Amino acid sequence: MSLLRLPLLLSLLALPGDDPIKTSFAVLAGFDYQEGMSLPKEVTDLDEKIVTISGFMQREIPGSGPVDTFLLINDACGCNGTPKMHEIVFCTLPAGVTMEIKAGVVHVAGKLYVGEEKEDGVVVMLYQMDADVVK
Amino acid sequence: MKPLHILFWLACATPLLALIPSNQDPATTDWPKEVERACTAKRYGLRLAASKAVAAGGGAAVPAIRAFAGQRGKNELPQALVDAIVDQDTTDGPVLDLLTEWAKDRDFYWRAQAMKGLARRAPRLPDRHATLAPLFAAHHDDPAWLTRVHARLGTALLGTTPGTVDPLTLPETDPRATSKLCALLLQNGKVPPLQPLFDALLDERTFQGFPWGQQRAGEAAKALRTWLGEDLPTQDGQSEPDKTAMITAMLANASRKSGQRLAPPTPLVDVAVPFTGVIEILSCRNGDLHLQWTAAGDLHAGIDATSAGRVPAPVWDELSRRRATLELGSSHGVVICDKMRLHWHEPAVNANVAPASLPAPAANWLERLAQALEQADQPRLAEALRAGLEQFAAR
Repeated sequence: MSLLRLPLLLSLLALPGDDPIKTSFAVLAGFDYQEGMSLPKEVTDLDEKIVTISGFMQREIPGSGPVDTFLLINDACGCNGTPKMHEIVFCTLPAGVTMEIKAGVVHVAGKLYVGEEKEDGVVVMLYQMDADVVK
Repeated sequence: MKPLHILFWLACATPLLALIPSNQDPATTDWPKEVERACTAKRYGLRLAASKAVAAGGGAAVPAIRAFAGQRGKNELPQALVDAIVDQDTTDGPVLDLLTEWAKDRDFYWRAQAMKGLARRAPRLPDRHATLAPLFAAHHDDPAWLTRVHARLGTALLGTTPGTVDPLTLPETDPRATSKLCALLLQNGKVPPLQPLFDALLDERTFQGFPWGQQRAGEAAKALRTWLGEDLPTQDGQSEPDKTAMITAMLANASRKSGQRLAPPTPLVDVAVPFTGVIEILSCRNGDLHLQWTAAGDLHAGIDATSAGRVPAPVWDELSRRRATLELGSSHGVVICDKMRLHWHEPAVNANVAPASLPAPAANWLERLAQALEQADQPRLAEALRAGLEQFAAR
């Protein structure tokens, strides 16, 4: 599916009354994260809510071409160190939708899921988002 | 053996158990496998966990890191692995040698991070002062801002002696560098001049939507909060009713604790200029270049958009015509660290470019722009742009 059709599809997916909650990495990453900890209420309050957040798109694995998942991070250059787990939103585009990694700041909207997800006993995600809008 | 004796020996042995690594034995760990995982696992979290494990291995893991870099290339090592090593406290010889090689290597993407790893450890390495001091000094004015910050940090942590330059007195044009150096010094137990940290607290400046001002505000707030042991308002871009009062209170406490005279910060906001185009180069090798322009050819340079003159109208018109004919996709090459971004309107272009991937027509246009910068009396900007061209033009 082309990128041009994405906004149209996504606008159709938006449900009336689902006003997105504007959040930021200042909220999501505004605490010292330790694996297994109880997350702050201001963060858990966002679980399964439709939110908007701004950041930079990054591939989970270096490469080229369109993606159907990407990392949203708060730093363009890695100048503040490797993003920690609570400084990343793992975004998934709707089924069948792919897009190129956009340059510069992007604004993403969709349902956010908050909570540790483990693989091989290791936390691999803390924030996940069904990214319905990327612009 | 009597139960009492068993209890006695258990009591003696228990503290020794703490010395045994709980997760892995460096001597028996399959380091090549761990390094491979740190560099190539598909999940970011798995790479992060493996990176920490490799870093915790200290010198024992270094041969595997070297072997991976030798086979795949040094820039296939991810930042997460280098950062994990930097943040470890080990002073194993092989780790120090590796960090030193990386810090000296201008083509290594994460040399700034390696410099930080050496700077943090420097006070604990008296036998390496003779080599580290000149290494730090040689990079005080490195074109890459993060490298020079970490080099200056190293010198400051080693302690200046008569005849050596105090890194805090060196000129600096990048606002991020000034506050970061002070924050890092505070984190490492040295109290620098605190005014740059307070000046950063009300920074709301952005670059093409990137809230770099808020980031340095947050960094400064965190450093001050930790040092003072008091809370500061969160720097999330939202004005809080008690923000001014909090900063005033912090100033008073910081003045008292440090003995420094500190002035309240003034809000820093974006210049109100209608930019129509931008070239952004983020390069750990050659340093960053931020250049924005208006439709009329007014130039603004730096992440803080300092005015940098105007290109003569006939030259600018010709440049604009040529720019409109450039055909650029959204990405050229595979970006890992260093990248160039070209973004303008009419026609709409927003392209990420990896090193050695800029198409020739665009490279030719940038060379013409560099000549125009010279005509606008901006030789240093022209030089920085040409350095970027040398790195990013397709070969």
